[in-house]
Amino acid sequence: MHPGDIFSLSFDALIDRKVRTVLTVLMVVLGSSLVVVLNGLSAGQSAFLESQFSALAANIIYVGSGQHSYHGSSSTVSITINNAVLSKISTLPYIESVTPEYSGSVEVDTGGETQHVTVTAMDPTKLTVILPNLQYVNGSTVNPNNRASALVGDTIANPPGATSPFVVLGQTIKLTYSYTATTGKSATEVQNYIVSGIMQPSGNSRIDSSIIISLAAGNQLLHKSTKYDQLIVAADSSDYVTTVQQELTTLYGPTLGVTTPSAIMAVTQKASSGNAAFTLMVGIIALVVGAVGIVTTLYNSVTERIREIGTMKAIGAQNIDILELFIVEAALIGIIGASLGLIIGMAAGYVLSIFTTTNIQGSGDVHIPPIYIPTDLLKVWVLSVTLSLAAGIYPAWKASRLSPMVALRRE
Amino acid sequence: MQSHLIILQKAIWSVTRIVNRDKSGATSNSAKMVSESTELDVRSSSIALGVKNLSKIFDSVAGKVVALDNINFTVKKGEFLSIVGPSGSGKSTLLNMIGALDRPTSGNVYIGGIDIFSLSDSEIATMRNSHIGFIFQSFNLINRTTVLKNVKLPGTIAGMAGSEANMRSIKILEALGIADKASQKPYNLSGGQQQRVAIARSLVNNPTIVLADEPTGNLDTKTGDDVFEMLKTLSHKFKRTIIMVTHNPELAESTDRSILIKDGRIERDVTN
Repeated sequence: MHPGDIFSLSFDALIDRKVRTVLTVLMVVLGSSLVVVLNGLSAGQSAFLESQFSALAANIIYVGSGQHSYHGSSSTVSITINNAVLSKISTLPYIESVTPEYSGSVEVDTGGETQHVTVTAMDPTKLTVILPNLQYVNGSTVNPNNRASALVGDTIANPPGATSPFVVLGQTIKLTYSYTATTGKSATEVQNYIVSGIMQPSGNSRIDSSIIISLAAGNQLLHKSTKYDQLIVAADSSDYVTTVQQELTTLYGPTLGVTTPSAIMAVTQKASSGNAAFTLMVGIIALVVGAVGIVTTLYNSVTERIREIGTMKAIGAQNIDILELFIVEAALIGIIGASLGLIIGMAAGYVLSIFTTTNIQGSGDVHIPPIYIPTDLLKVWVLSVTLSLAAGIYPAWKASRLSPMVALRRE
Repeated sequence: MQSHLIILQKAIWSVTRIVNRDKSGATSNSAKMVSESTELDVRSSSIALGVKNLSKIFDSVAGKVVALDNINFTVKKGEFLSIVGPSGSGKSTLLNMIGALDRPTSGNVYIGGIDIFSLSDSEIATMRNSHIGFIFQSFNLINRTTVLKNVKLPGTIAGMAGSEANMRSIKILEALGIADKASQKPYNLSGGQQQRVAIARSLVNNPTIVLADEPTGNLDTKTGDDVFEMLKTLSHKFKRTIIMVTHNPELAESTDRSILIKDGRIERDVTN
């Protein structure tokens, strides 16, 4: 038989059973689109993480109390990071600077509108140590000694989806910090600040969704009693990061949490990869379920069309003709399903990324668009079609092996 | 009816010329020709079908069942033969053997001088396609596709070009008076019309023999008579070799020759 005739007969057979065909194609669509969505979102998340860490300076080491370590398993013992620790670390070799930092969650009120944000208290001039490429909007001024001035991140100043800015330069904002007093009672600390600077998008979501105030102002607002939350240690260059990291570990052991952007990135990417592998498996399971649907559909089709198969063989169809008819049906289901799955999956990924934002460090919602790599899409398409073909082999083989006489006798 | 017969004559001659041209040299190399010493002169150019010492034994729970026991006969080209017999006599089994749908326990079937059971399964399928036309009691048309596609299906299976298969099919449909139904689905036709479509399908590859299994069994008397007359016309006017299984003695008597099968043996072979 000519390939065109086989295609025509197979297509007719699929059209004849429209509902069943559509449902079977839908199974393949669901499987392949699920793989595409999960793949795209995972790739988007990985790219997002990379962009976050690539914006950080490579010579930075974060030093926190042991219990807040990011370096593998958390330690059970920690020391208070105070001026003594700060001074000691500052004297270590290969260290350019040590910047202490307080942080906490506050409510910011612009005189009508409120947001819950992270406030970071540090020397604002040291922001460029962490983010060498940090830029401010025109008119901004950085006043390290002014306790009443604040720098505002881009995500806070211009919330995603908002038609007007949340704050503008020169505006007074009220920060309210809620805490538990030494008496055990809940208390609040309220301070007003003037927005002296607004940062342009830095690529670092933590900074973009923070309000930066001076260290002294932070100590007062957050009631820290000169107990720092973190030290930002800048090594002389990225070549000395490991040396400094080892020195700190030797000096303080597990009582201090010492980590670097590359270590954070390695851990998060490992977690991200594990998550991606898991979600990919879920997608592949969905594809396999779709393939089982094809087996069921074609197997039923063979049973229902047994007299037709008998007739075709009686009038001269070869086993290979019957095999090809059913294989082409499976291939058509696979090709249509996989192609639609790719399109729907890509569209669904974009829609999902718009409607589901990712919360970073509890301080802001970030939109992470999916990333579709053409070779990955091709792999999903080939996998879907291959699974569909594989699913069609057994029913097709069974149909081709039918004896014409037995098939003609079947009611 | 007369005009239909004239058109049918032209159509059959036209298709015969095309197919004979195509079939020249198409006989399989592995096909064994009958030896000169064969008792039946099945190589004679006047013989379409030869059945020699044909037996079929089925294994069943109750033991071995002899369905056909040493059957011998020949059918001349253009002959209209009917096979009659009571239910379970073995007439359908015999038709299945002649149509190469099943293999015998022993014996031979020769079509156009070729021992069909010496062929491989694939060659048998090719032989069925080019040398045998089937007409079934329940028409066995593919309802999801058009009348035209049904009729040209043997040509399609043979790898015939679409335009040629279309041309042949339309000529035969015109001859059978149902060309206007070509684009319809078979389930929209009456029983008689569906059987005409089946007859058209059986003729499209210009087979050596046409096998009809109770072709009027699912039709009312009037329609059955029309279909039977069509088969008679095919045989007498256009020299088609037709072998028809029927349980209707009246129809059997109206054919050129009747073979009565009983308990797997030929009980009577009568020229009418």
